[in-house]
Parts: sequence; structure tokens; C-alpha cells
Amino acid sequence: MPGEDKIIEVRHLVKHYGKFKAVEDVSFDVFRGDVYGFLGPNGAGKSTTIRTMLSLISPTSGEIRLFGKNLLTDRNYILQRIGCIVEKPDFYKYLSAEKNLEIFARLSGVSVTKSKVHEIIEFVGLKGREKDKLGGFSHGMRQRLGIAQTLIHDPELIILDEPTTGLDPQGIIDIRNLILQLKNERNKTVLLSSHILSEIELIATRMVIINKGKTIVQGSVSELLNAQELIVAFSVNNIEKAKQLLANASLDKTIDKIEHNSMLLHISQEKIPVVNKLFCDNGVDVYSIEAKRKLEDYFLKLINA
Amino acid sequence: MFWKSTYNEFIKIAAKPRSYIGVGAITLIVGIILFAMKADGMNFISFVTAPFEQSLSFEGNILNGNLIAFIILQMLIIHVPLLIALVTGDLVSGEGAMGTIRLLLTKPISRTKILFSKYLAGCAYTFIILLWMGFMALIVGKWLFGTGDLMVLNSDGLIVLQEPDLGWRFALGFSVAFLSLVTVATLSLTLSCFSENSIGPIVSTMAIIILFNIIGALEVPVLQKIQPYLFTTHMMAWRSFFEDPLPTEKIIHSIIILLVHIVGLLGIAMYKFNKKDILS
Amino acid sequence: MYSTRYEASVRVARHERIENKPAEKSASDTSRYAPLRSALEVTSRLKSIIVLFLILFLSTSLSAQTNANQILRGVYTKLQKAKDYTVQANIKVDMPFIRMLPIDAKIYFKQKDKFKVESKSIAIVPRQGFDQASKMLADTNSYTAVAQGTEMVAGALTTIVNIIPLSDTSDLILGRLWIDTKQNLILKSQLTTKSNGTILTEYTYGTQAAYGLPDKMIFSVDIKKFKIPKGVATDMNNTADEKKKKENENKKGKIFITLTNYQVNKGILDSVFKK
Repeated sequence: MPGEDKIIEVRHLVKHYGKFKAVEDVSFDVFRGDVYGFLGPNGAGKSTTIRTMLSLISPTSGEIRLFGKNLLTDRNYILQRIGCIVEKPDFYKYLSAEKNLEIFARLSGVSVTKSKVHEIIEFVGLKGREKDKLGGFSHGMRQRLGIAQTLIHDPELIILDEPTTGLDPQGIIDIRNLILQLKNERNKTVLLSSHILSEIELIATRMVIINKGKTIVQGSVSELLNAQELIVAFSVNNIEKAKQLLANASLDKTIDKIEHNSMLLHISQEKIPVVNKLFCDNGVDVYSIEAKRKLEDYFLKLINA
Repeated sequence: MFWKSTYNEFIKIAAKPRSYIGVGAITLIVGIILFAMKADGMNFISFVTAPFEQSLSFEGNILNGNLIAFIILQMLIIHVPLLIALVTGDLVSGEGAMGTIRLLLTKPISRTKILFSKYLAGCAYTFIILLWMGFMALIVGKWLFGTGDLMVLNSDGLIVLQEPDLGWRFALGFSVAFLSLVTVATLSLTLSCFSENSIGPIVSTMAIIILFNIIGALEVPVLQKIQPYLFTTHMMAWRSFFEDPLPTEKIIHSIIILLVHIVGLLGIAMYKFNKKDILS
Repeated sequence: MYSTRYEASVRVARHERIENKPAEKSASDTSRYAPLRSALEVTSRLKSIIVLFLILFLSTSLSAQTNANQILRGVYTKLQKAKDYTVQANIKVDMPFIRMLPIDAKIYFKQKDKFKVESKSIAIVPRQGFDQASKMLADTNSYTAVAQGTEMVAGALTTIVNIIPLSDTSDLILGRLWIDTKQNLILKSQLTTKSNGTILTEYTYGTQAAYGLPDKMIFSVDIKKFKIPKGVATDMNNTADEKKKKENENKKGKIFITLTNYQVNKGILDSVFKK
């Protein structure tokens, strides 16, 4: 694991609202340098868990340790080292972008200069808009400003709760690249909760999946997903012949579904070139090979189990 | 960090358009009163001196800046508390409505300090409003009407306070008036901790003030027992500085009641704000 | 005016004397009309007494009126000596329903009726002003003055002069002056007017006695008429003590005015009295 020290340790976190159990038993660890995916369906308790880690919600029971310190006793020490966006980033509409950053920077516990503020604004691509009031900002611009606010005090840990919500495809790509940049160039640890599983799959190094307030599984993304078979779609010119060839090679049981000229096979990654060679050597033209909904499938399987 | 947070709160209050409603309203209301007094002030004076005018004549500059200032201070009953609540009632709930509370409470500063810094900024705003009112009433009033003795009509008669004796009375009167407005600010801030929108605390504050004023005015034995403990009963304590002899005990009693309310309400606000789960 | 009344009364007396002249006795009447004669004699005597009384009364009255007029003329003449004056006044109010510290003021007066009180503070003075008596005495045709005995006031013998207005429309209802006839000074006055009620004034003289200008005046007013308006918009502070209110209801209020540093007949411009 990158760095070996744990940045986040959550142990048996519980949060009840009267009879309603928002979080029943969540435990996970985040290591330094991780891009940590935090997954779960709606109502699983993701937001509650994240808000509890940020002391927005007080837990019913359980322990949360960040940077080796207990959140209950060393709150200010911990929060000084965290930058976060919880749901959508909201700012003071009647203030400019620059003023908003200054306000939050002043409370960050470290000294932040005006030049630093301008540097961050430029970094997130808002140069020239710093004097504009937030009322005129688009959602994407506010998201960028949210990222700026997160980074202004150079935190060690960045927590992003649904950061791509409401963004267009370009915006999503930008956020993804930014997160990678933060990890690779600035050695930040990122905790990222998202519904867009493909994004998590592309950038997360480790992840935890929770459902109904409980941890289902956690671990390295590659290990968790590689242990599972893939669903691979082969687009061919002769479906019947392809089926025959698979039957001859005792691979017909791997057929998951046939859609028009596309055949979905349940095979491991190693079998992909084998099936491709089988088709090509026997006169079946292969137009495309695509690994479909890997994490999504894994996720749904776990949730529905 | 506390002072940085307080500075932040000043900036926010100064940037909000609603903060200037209070200043504008005071300017307008005081301006109207000054204009009305300039146009027809002597008739108003006649109403006050009428019971005595059969046998007595009042000479001197009765309609002067000091009297105008005194009349304007009477507005403290309903108008200025509303203007204060407009801003202080929004201090916590406004953050919730805007969503900024999520960011604010994830900063390395305790919730108690954040609340106190908001409270301090709210008190500073209250002070500025009162100062502006004092300026308009006393300075502009004296510029327009000149200066002179102050004639006050109480329910037990007329009292004439000489001009050299008025400076400390106004100073202390304004101080106690500030205390009563701070009580209103504290109430609205406390209610703000229980709400996710701005309108609720503002309307609730005014409703409580109106209700308590009504209870205070009713001559019903059951209600008369609680009247001495309502903060609205003591919101006019500043007026006691314009009596002779000075009812020191009564003034101190009023100050204590107001302070008890402030401390009690702040305690409730602190408890609620610290325990509150931020779900929005 | 008094001559008319006098003539009328004399005419009445004469008429009665003529009317009551006893008839000459006749000898034949003595026996039968004796009771009637004696009755007539009694009636005649009674009438004489009445006439005499009337003459005496009217004479006294006339004398009293003449005396009163003379007294008032003397006072008025004295007051006219001061064509104008300025004086420093210290005004102290002692009244239930009013609380104020003594204040200093400057008073200006110029014949015949220009009067001004100048003060940095708010001054409460009797509505009728300080020169009501002088104003009243100036208009000799508007009243009848009758001397009505004497009284000691502040160790001095005074003649009491009642002043009765002749017109129903006059503001004055009744005036009473206690006048030191030796010095032609008013030591006390009680004026009842429709507009101002009854005000009793006591005068003390010193350095300016020659001009009839007092050193000290004490005005007493009846405070029963004072009623504090309820529900006054400006008064939200209930400072009233019910018991105290009742105690105050039957007292008199006083204004003490001490006058010093008279500047008499130095000349005052009319512009001083413009508001």
C-alpha cells in the first residue's frame, strides 16, 4: 500500500436517527496516497459517513481516527489537514470568488496570502473571474471554485462527495484529471464518493462498498475486480458460426447474451485473445472487442446479494 | 482564529444587501419624524403642555434636538428590533439555507467560537444601527432644532431636565437601549440555530416581541405575575434615565433581567448549535 | 361711570323723600284715623331710615369707589414710572406634576405691554405674565373698583380693592388687590380670569420699590384642574404612583421668582421683543 500509514481509520461507525439506522456498522481504512473510492447505492449511508468524518454529524457510536488522532478529541488538528467538498460546493452569492476563498482560507488554520489565492484561482481555471460575484457563476465554475477552496490551505487529505454531480462530460474529465494530478504531482490522499462507477474504476486505487449502512467489501480495486470475470462483447459478422466455434472449444457456456451481431461472453481477461484467435483463424471477422460494465456489474452483484 | 472568524462575519454582514435595509429604514423614519416636527412640532408640544397651559406658560426652546432625540428613541419598541432581527436572525439559518454551513463547520475552529463570532458581529451591527440612530436623532436633530432643556411627559407629570444634565443621561440611556436591542439580537440568533431558513427566526422574533408586549399591557392578575420577568417589560428601561430622581434600583433590576435573558438565550443557542447535525 | 350711578341713587333717594313726605294732620281725623296715622308715621320713619341708609351706603360706596380709584391711580402712576426695564430672574417651580430645577432667565419689559422672557432653559411662568396688574389698571373704563376694608400683609397695612369688570365679555372675572397705600405698592393680588383660572400673587419689594417693581414674586395656582392625558403616545413609561397622584390632587402649585439686577429706563429696542 502506498505509504503505509493510515490516514483514515473508521471502526464500527453507527449513526441512528431515532429508530432509523442511517449507518449500522461501517469500517474501512484509507492509506496515504490512496485515491479511495467510496461506493454504495442511494441511502447506503455514504453521505452520513462522510459528514461524520468531517464532524458535521455526531456519531452514535464507533471510532474515527484521522492522521492517527481521534476525531472527538483532536478535531481542529484533523480538520486543518483536510480539504473537502460535501455534496455541491456552496458559497456566499453576494461575495466575489476571491472574497469567498479569502473567507474560508482565513479559517483554515494556516496563513494564506493573496498571491496564494490568485495562484489557486488560476490553477482551477478561473483566472479573470476572481472579482465576479458568485451569483453569475455556472455550476461548473462553482465546482472549480469548490476545488480551489479545498486546496487553498494545501491539505494532506481531500474528501470529495459526488464531485462530478451536474457536470458536463468535459467537466467530468477535468475533475478526473485534476484528481489524478493531485495524487501524482502533489501526493495528496483523496477520498472520493461517486455514483459514476466508471470514473471510480478509472482513477481509484482502493475502494469500499457499503450498503444499508454496512461495509460490504473493501480493498484494492484491481484485486477486487481482477478476481471477477469480465463481460466481453464481441462484435462479429457471423453469429451462428461463432457460436459453433465456441461450442467446439467447450466455451459455449461462457455465452451470456447475444444481441444482434454482438455476443456477450463471460470470460476472464486471459481468454480474450484466445477467443479472438479462434474466431479469426476460422473465418469469423471480429469488428470490435469491448469489456462491458465491469465495476458496475460487480457492484450490482454485491448489492443484490 | 476567533477574531479571524469575527472579521469574516463582519465582511459577510457588510456585504449582505439586507444589512442596509436597517440603515435605510432608520434614515427614512428619522427623516420623516424630523420633517414632521419641523412642519408641525409646536402642535405636538401643545398636546404635551395642554394640561398645564390654562395657568402656566412655557418659555424657551422646547422643541429642540434633545426632545426630538427622545421621541426618536421611542421607536425602539417595535421598529428597530425588527431591523436588528432581519440581520441577526439570518446569521446561522442563512448559512444553512445557502449551504455554506457545510463548508463553515468543516473548518478547524470550534462551533462555539463560530457562534460567538457571529454573535459578536451581530452585536456590532446592532451597535452601528443604534449609533446611526443616535447620530440622526441627536446630531441632525440639534442641527435642525437647536439645543435646550428636555421636557418629558410621564404618567405622573412633567419633568424638565436641564441641558447640561442631559449628556450623561443620553449616554447611559443609549447604553441600556443597546442592551435591550442586544437581547433582541440574542433571541433572533438563538431562533436562527433552530431553523434552516431566514424568515422563520425573523418572524418568530417579532411574534415573540409583540406577544410579550401584549401580555405586558394586559391588566390580568395571572399575567401580571409574569410581566416583571419578560424582557419586553424592560426594553424601555432606558427611559428611566430621564426621570428625577433617578430610579437606580429599577434600572439595575432591568439590566439584570436583560442580562439573564441574554445569557440564558446564548446558552440555548450554544447547546443547539453544538449538537446540531448538519444534514442539508 | 360712577357719576351716573351716583346720580341715579340720588334721584332714587330724592324720589323717596318726596314720596314719603308725611301728610299734614287734620283735627277731624285724630279720633277715627289715629291708628292709621300712627301706622303711617311708622312707615314714614322707616322710609326715612331706609333713605338715610341708602344715602349713607351710597355715600360710603361712592366714597369707597372714589377712594379705590384714587388708590389704583396712585399705584398705576407709580408703575408708569418704569418705561422699560430688564431684570435677571431666578424661577423656581414647586408644583405637583411638574419637576424641574430652578432656572435663570432674563425678563424684558417695555411700555405699554411688551414683555419677553429669555432663557437658555425652559422656563415655566404664570400665563398671565408679570404685568397683568399693570395692564389691568391701565384700562380704567373697563372695571369698577371698590375698596373693601384693610388687612395686614407681611407686616404692612393694606387696603383691599376689588376690581369688577363691567363687561360680560371681559376675560377678567374678579380681581382683588392688597395695596399698601402709603407706598402705593401692590403687596398681594388675586386675579380670577376665564382663561387662566385664579392666580394668587405675593409681592416683596426692595431696591426698585420706587418704580413699583418687586424683588420677589410668589405665584400660587390651583392644581386641581391639571389632568395628565391618558394614553399619551410618547409616554410608555408608567411612573405614576396612584397614592401620590391622589395626594397631589388637592394642593396648590407655586412659582417663586426672584428678581435681581434691574436695569430701569435704559432703553430697549422694539426688535428685542420680536419672536
